[in-house]
Amino acid sequence: MKARNNGTPFVLPALVLLSLITVYPAVYVFYLSFQRRLLIFDLSKYVGLDNYLFLLGDKRFWNALGNTFYFTLISVSLELVLGLGFALLLHRTFKLKGLVRAVVMIPWIIPTVVSAKLWEWIYNTDFGILNYLLGLKVNWLGSPFWALNCAIAMDVWKTTPFVAILLTAGLQIIPEEVIQAAKIDGAGTWQIFKRITLPLLKPVILVVLIFRTLDAFRVFDAVYVLTGGGPANTTETLSIYAYKVLFQTLQFGYGSALSVIVFLCVGFFSLVYLKFLRKSNL
Amino acid sequence: MSIPRPKNIILFFCFLPLLLGCGQKDQKAQKTQTVHLVFKHGKIAGDPVLFRNLLDKFETDHPGIKVKDETLPASTDEQHQFYVINLEGKSSDFDVLSMDVIWVPEFARAGWLRDLHHLVPEKERTAFFSGPMEAVTFEGKPYAVPWYIDAGVLYYRKDLLQKYGFLPPTTWAELVSTAQTITAEEKGLYGFIWQGKQYEGLVCNVLEYMWSNGGEVMREGKPVLFSPENIYALNFMKDLIIKYKVTPPLVTTAIEEPTRHIFGNGQALFMRNWPYAWNIFQREGSPVKDKVGISTLPSFPTHESASTLGGWQLGVNRFSKNPQVAEKLVLFLTSPESQKTLALNIGYKPSRQSLYLDEELIREQPFIAELTDVLRKARPRPVSPYYLMISQIIQPEFSAALSGIKTAEEALRSAQQQIEFILKVDR
Repeated sequence: MKARNNGTPFVLPALVLLSLITVYPAVYVFYLSFQRRLLIFDLSKYVGLDNYLFLLGDKRFWNALGNTFYFTLISVSLELVLGLGFALLLHRTFKLKGLVRAVVMIPWIIPTVVSAKLWEWIYNTDFGILNYLLGLKVNWLGSPFWALNCAIAMDVWKTTPFVAILLTAGLQIIPEEVIQAAKIDGAGTWQIFKRITLPLLKPVILVVLIFRTLDAFRVFDAVYVLTGGGPANTTETLSIYAYKVLFQTLQFGYGSALSVIVFLCVGFFSLVYLKFLRKSNL
Repeated sequence: MSIPRPKNIILFFCFLPLLLGCGQKDQKAQKTQTVHLVFKHGKIAGDPVLFRNLLDKFETDHPGIKVKDETLPASTDEQHQFYVINLEGKSSDFDVLSMDVIWVPEFARAGWLRDLHHLVPEKERTAFFSGPMEAVTFEGKPYAVPWYIDAGVLYYRKDLLQKYGFLPPTTWAELVSTAQTITAEEKGLYGFIWQGKQYEGLVCNVLEYMWSNGGEVMREGKPVLFSPENIYALNFMKDLIIKYKVTPPLVTTAIEEPTRHIFGNGQALFMRNWPYAWNIFQREGSPVKDKVGISTLPSFPTHESASTLGGWQLGVNRFSKNPQVAEKLVLFLTSPESQKTLALNIGYKPSRQSLYLDEELIREQPFIAELTDVLRKARPRPVSPYYLMISQIIQPEFSAALSGIKTAEEALRSAQQQIEFILKVDR
């Protein structure tokens, strides 16, 4: 008991620093979200829940929320499936395994803004390699249907390696004996995967899902660089909308309310996942 | 679980300049009595030494004043963000600031700029082009001085128009028929390219069609966007892509540079862009060297051509510790001599009309004479402290009309309603 108490002073500096740079701004954003604050009109007054009520009738908000959910759902599912596939491949022993692993990591290493710029060229109608390979003239980023899916494709390309590496690590802790025992009992590859690998991998999969869902839900840089939210807001995510309201039109109250919504969604997801995680640990 | 939220990081950086600022001020006070001015501006094109020379000249002319020039990030959005955060925090770390043409009313309304009406007395205001002068004036007083000017122009391929016996078009219909005729003969050539991505540049493009059809966004402080003239103009832009097929669909993702590349490779007959592209086309090795002409944008019949005004203005930070000295720098940089030097060395187009008659300037940069007319007619985007909010409303609506999600009528009606709403609140 005593030894534990002695630790407090050592943790204190970190605690103070963390509260300064995360807790204080977060609380301040909550406070701002109950205000009508327009910098250019020197306006700053308490309006209660007005920002949130306005949000309910704001079509642009619902559109952004829909885009964000779509982006999160599709990109995370694809990343999980592809990442699991890569992980199973990488887990096997073959020649040049180290090299292949390194190569797979490349998209993850490239900074997001750089890869967004690369993909902007890939999608270019005239000079882009995608149209060249397909022999088409599709206006990928200018089409309301394709633009968001193109952003998802880029995100999948970029983050699948991250998922794959985490899952590979998960595969490595599955004891070889269990699998061999199953083989002796006459289980096929599919049965082994379904009955042994997958259940034992579940905690890792949940961790991957937490990371990826939260990241995807707050997506900003990739989409902002690729399309800026266009055409016609079809790729505008909540973070992009909040950024535009906060920093381009300087409506700090409403912008903060949007940020709070992102925060609440993300918080809700984490709680749900954590609950599952706790269950699976038992 | 602690997950870093982007918001927190942004807020942290909001306060960072304040912290850093405190340290700098103390140092200044301890030094000699020399006045140190800080001049913030976007990236200066070309060799930075040329611009520094100009500031050195100011320092020689005014002993006891030192000027430190600091460059902001290239993106205008980021510059805007920098100013907003620092001026809201009443930062006195910079004295003179250069502003995009659409920011002045907003900053003036917020009380961040020093009233500069005494620097540009009433009768001197006509020395500048009327567009930028209008853009820096808020409630009858200038809050900045126009520094250099930009305007949308039409680039055309001189050689191709000559080959097929056409003159540069003066109406939009002429542009369409010229482009259709020539692109039918020349394989792989686009007719007319412009900037249609959802961003500020889209607004600049669309307004040129609306104005050249007699339409407007705001009249006497009221939105008049939803009008037959504007619906017609926006529909025409969509028709350029869909009906007349002189504009490739790729423009709906294009900003200035991609269109400049296409035209610069000789792949387009007409292009709408800013004057900056001219010098690049004339460089050695450029595929279109000596093949490019420049003219005013076309208009619809019975209406005048209109270009969107761009360019930068100099203002004084209201929280500056040395406002009088800062004014001296503004006067110096916007003087005819400095503007001429900048035009000769860097290619910035002067905001003072008299310089377009300057013999040396015309001799060195012959195409500046062709620009005079365009610049005189250039019109500012709605001069209103609400402009940035209005722009955020109309960008997606214009984009929706061009990409076919909404009809032009629906898009403009929706934009009109949204603008009316924001103008009503807090009035």
